[in-house]
Amino acid sequence: MTATTPDALATGTQAAWRRWLRRHGWTFGVWILLVVLVAYYSTLIPAFGSFQLASIINNGAPLVFLAAAQAVIVIAGGIDLGVGGMMVLTNVTAARFMEGQPLATTLVIGVIILLLAAAINAGVGWIITTSKVPDIVITLGSLYFFQGLALAVLPNPGGGTSEGFRWLFTGSPRGIGSNPYPAAILISVVILIVAWWIGKTRSGLSLYAVGSDKTAAYLSGIRAARVKIVSYAVGGALAAMAGLALTAIAGRGNPTAVGGNATLNSVAAIVLGGVALTGGIGSVIAVVPAGLILFFLNPILTAMGVDPNRAQIVQGVLIVVVMMVTGLIEWRRRRRV
Amino acid sequence: MTEASQALLSAQGIAKSYGPVVALRSADATVQPGEIHALLGANGAGKSTLVKILSGVITSDAGTTSVHGEPVRLRKPTDARSAGIATVFQDPSLIPDLTLAQNLRISRLSPSDVMPWLERMNLGHIDLELLVSDVPLAVLRLLDLARALAHDPQLLMLDEITAALTTDQAEYVFGVMRAWKEQGRSVLFISHRLGEVLEMCDRATILRNGANVADFDLAGVDEAQLVTAMLGEDLVKELSEEAAAESTPTAEAAVAAVSFDTPVVLELKDVRLRDKVNGVSFQLRQGEILGLTALEGQGQDELFQLLSGDHRPSSGELLVDGRPMNARSPYDAIRKGLVLVPADRQQALLPQRSVRVNLSTPLYNRASKWFTLAGDETERVDRAVDRLDIDVRAGSQVQRLSGGNQQKVTIGRWLASGFGTLLCFDPTRGIDIQTKAQIYDLLRELAADGSSIFLYTSELREIPLVCDRVLVMYNGRIVHEQDAKTATEEVMLTSAHGLEEART
Amino acid sequence: MSTDLSSGADVKSDPSQPTVWHRSARYLATHPHLVLIGVLIFLILMTGAVESNYLSINGLRNSALFAVPIGVLAAGQTILMLTGGIDLSAAMIATGAAYVAANQSPKGAAFAIIAGLAVGVLAGAANGIGVGVFQVNPLIMTLAMAGILLGLFTSWAQTIFSGSTRMGDFIRTLGGGSFFGRSIPWAVVVWAVLSIFVIYMLRRSGFGRNLYAIGDNGIAARLSGMRAWQVLIVVYIIAGVFGAIAGLLLGGRVGAVDLQLAGAFLLPSVAAAVIGGTSIFGGVGTYTGTILGALILGVLQSLLTFLGAGQAIQQMLYGAIIIGLSWLYTRISATQ
Repeated sequence: MTATTPDALATGTQAAWRRWLRRHGWTFGVWILLVVLVAYYSTLIPAFGSFQLASIINNGAPLVFLAAAQAVIVIAGGIDLGVGGMMVLTNVTAARFMEGQPLATTLVIGVIILLLAAAINAGVGWIITTSKVPDIVITLGSLYFFQGLALAVLPNPGGGTSEGFRWLFTGSPRGIGSNPYPAAILISVVILIVAWWIGKTRSGLSLYAVGSDKTAAYLSGIRAARVKIVSYAVGGALAAMAGLALTAIAGRGNPTAVGGNATLNSVAAIVLGGVALTGGIGSVIAVVPAGLILFFLNPILTAMGVDPNRAQIVQGVLIVVVMMVTGLIEWRRRRRV
Repeated sequence: MTEASQALLSAQGIAKSYGPVVALRSADATVQPGEIHALLGANGAGKSTLVKILSGVITSDAGTTSVHGEPVRLRKPTDARSAGIATVFQDPSLIPDLTLAQNLRISRLSPSDVMPWLERMNLGHIDLELLVSDVPLAVLRLLDLARALAHDPQLLMLDEITAALTTDQAEYVFGVMRAWKEQGRSVLFISHRLGEVLEMCDRATILRNGANVADFDLAGVDEAQLVTAMLGEDLVKELSEEAAAESTPTAEAAVAAVSFDTPVVLELKDVRLRDKVNGVSFQLRQGEILGLTALEGQGQDELFQLLSGDHRPSSGELLVDGRPMNARSPYDAIRKGLVLVPADRQQALLPQRSVRVNLSTPLYNRASKWFTLAGDETERVDRAVDRLDIDVRAGSQVQRLSGGNQQKVTIGRWLASGFGTLLCFDPTRGIDIQTKAQIYDLLRELAADGSSIFLYTSELREIPLVCDRVLVMYNGRIVHEQDAKTATEEVMLTSAHGLEEART
Repeated sequence: MSTDLSSGADVKSDPSQPTVWHRSARYLATHPHLVLIGVLIFLILMTGAVESNYLSINGLRNSALFAVPIGVLAAGQTILMLTGGIDLSAAMIATGAAYVAANQSPKGAAFAIIAGLAVGVLAGAANGIGVGVFQVNPLIMTLAMAGILLGLFTSWAQTIFSGSTRMGDFIRTLGGGSFFGRSIPWAVVVWAVLSIFVIYMLRRSGFGRNLYAIGDNGIAARLSGMRAWQVLIVVYIIAGVFGAIAGLLLGGRVGAVDLQLAGAFLLPSVAAAVIGGTSIFGGVGTYTGTILGALILGVLQSLLTFLGAGQAIQQMLYGAIIIGLSWLYTRISATQ
């Protein structure tokens, strides 16, 4: 055989199409699914308009940010059960200190909270890499630690924030409105920045490298421990974004919110978005439609007349089914190697 | 004029051990500038360990390395790169889930850095947006080579780069190597293909058992001389005499009793698996010890996976006692009597459990055995311990035992639970001579008692001591078969390299 | 496939001179239960110092009663952690079992108990199939199962199970009553019987050996012929049954059942196993240690109650304990 261009390298539209499909097909599919679901929803609600659209985007934003946080960490080969707890913690901290403050002050507080969250979660990442205890165990501990800390910061639901801050995330000073643009723009800007960093810069690509093949990453001169800590820091900041979004939407802090459920939803969202739990694979951009779809299931089922508790079951079953299917695909992929 | 201090690379006294296993005893290597230097040795001689140490992937326990006379400390891959050493490993160190372009970005290279080399290898048109996992292994090797060259190293180390390359592609590599040499740089070339070595290389260093045995000019040398140098005649005689002195006469006599009337316990007919096993056929008779030998990566790992039930063949028939095996997992194979002693003890032992627990593990495979501990467990375990002379003093955790004792436990599991055919994959690799002799004695006794044994080993000299027949595997096929007692190392090594057996 | 860097490619070498830290760590590592007993006694004395009435049958009895659901749930956690798994649906299984039993109590104690245990069997089987056959990560699988069960029981609470939410008398006696006149609670007796079963299973049965084997080296277990998926399904069912038993005992003690019944006991059950020396990696651990861990947590709860510490401190403490102890155990096993 003297072929120097074997089939897999063959150019030509058919092969290129097949390759594009394999690389971006899942992301494309999730976007399409979202559009289909929105279209279906609009047929169920005769008065469907910008109010419903704003409601979906605004209220789905926390889950989208949380899913982005989980995606960054999982791509680098870890997993963070504590993101839900971090979200609750940042929510109550923001609500407690932003109450009665003008917009400028609340923005400053918001930025400080983002930085603190990044630093704290980087600390979690440091504990993981230094102690060599599995991510799951340490972050199970951090989940409950953050949850407890939230109760200490704000023992009962309360607090508040400025109207300007609420407008930033929801397009309305009262958290409910018909203006989907601020939230959409905010989500897009944040996600695009993260996606650009993780996909185009050397420091960002290192996350994929470490998650995909630690040995090859080491041979290329990448320091796995440092990369992991960075991934947890970025994840912490994104989880804080989710908490800030929650503060803006609800207008207050709720320390009794169950962080564990939010974490589970974030994991489900990233799996739906095509991120492999084993690391190294996935697009941060795809978690946006995935998160929105997951959030969206409940309203759709309600509009369809399904009992909200049944909706919860459906959601749980869906998560398990998606996990099983992706688990099977992964297993098949490994067996063939 | 080249003095030792002007050598491009000078490594002296490199040693590396993993616990009780000695990978390198004391290896030296000297590479002059403008030289293509071959590093040769049989499996397990220490070549890959030396390469890893020189690439900064692992650190040595002892020894010094200097580049252009300046001592260097190679503690991580970037140290080696700064010292001017670039390595292309057998498995390309590219991130599988990223594109080629992204991999370049991670190595701080731009496409224009590697393009000149890619064009030289007729890959100038390649689409850098391809995912690494979509690109065939051969092309990845060439890409890895281009990437290494783009770092402009003084010394280029190539570990088995031509394996699985087409002749064309290999020619490109040789062209690159020559170009490198012309620029006054050097290449350290590791290959099993002796023909290539003689064609391309100026000098050779030969490793055996973790140390140098020869370092000479390759002008006027032929393959046979290389093979002899790698094997070392005197050592072979010594070891076979020693092993012969330890074996029992009755076992040897009993071994000769296998004939055409003896039932066939295992039969393979044109068995294939992906592109690794390409049509293997042979028979194993009761009471027989059948040996298999091959170079690394010729399909023997996959063949054993098939036999132990770990994988199903893509085609062909696998018959145990005349009936198809159809194993979906090792459980099925073991139920039919086929048990595996793996090469890697990590795959067979429960590290934190005691010797006795390890020895009795297979007793509880069937659900019906779950409810209690087997009544005769103590006797079975005692019998295995006695027969194998296992040292149980460090017994609370098997990971604390010596390599030899660990290997005995790996075999002992099957003695305790019973079996029909024993599949042994390189059972004596890295084991001391006394234990080796004990294991070989045991195998002969088991065969004499009626068990059948299929044994893969890369230690050619030991095959005539224990096997009845021997098969040689190359490129997924059986290329040679003969009576083990009369097999010579030359013939086996020659057919293992896929060369014509034009010898007497 | 990546370049093989295995077979001991450590960059640092272990220190050969044992320091005081190493020697004491090694002693502790081989006698971990002594440490736990010491901690338990210390905590009891401390609680007695804070509240003088504590060091009595009544005081200790309360701690023991509190420890029972933790200990029973932790039995499931322990056997699962040995295989490298975990059960985050345990609390929900407990609650669901209690709910069903309360609902079926008009049909008699035996029927109610069987119905409750059935919840554990079914949920456990689902977990086991997900983890064993489909290789879903146990954490995710059981977390999702918790959500599913919550949704199921919330909706069924209004339909199928809209009957009684009070436990029948027999179960209430088991859960809250005592014999020898208010000294030894029946719940503790149930726990003791269960403990004997678990300890026997882990030490003297082939199944127990298989659990340790899967956690210690799953590859070796498979190559020696074990079919892990069978073992995993069974162990998750057993854990589910233990969860149901915990729910019945808890529901019996409280009397009336609601959907928040066992939620607060989930984290402590994991903590008890970790404190007791069970490694989440798998392959290491005993139920004896877990029992001590559960008792420690029971006394800790009393201490915190007497000190007036709130939910916040408790949750933070649990999180810190899990992190701290896992780290400690990893360091100790690394020095061996």
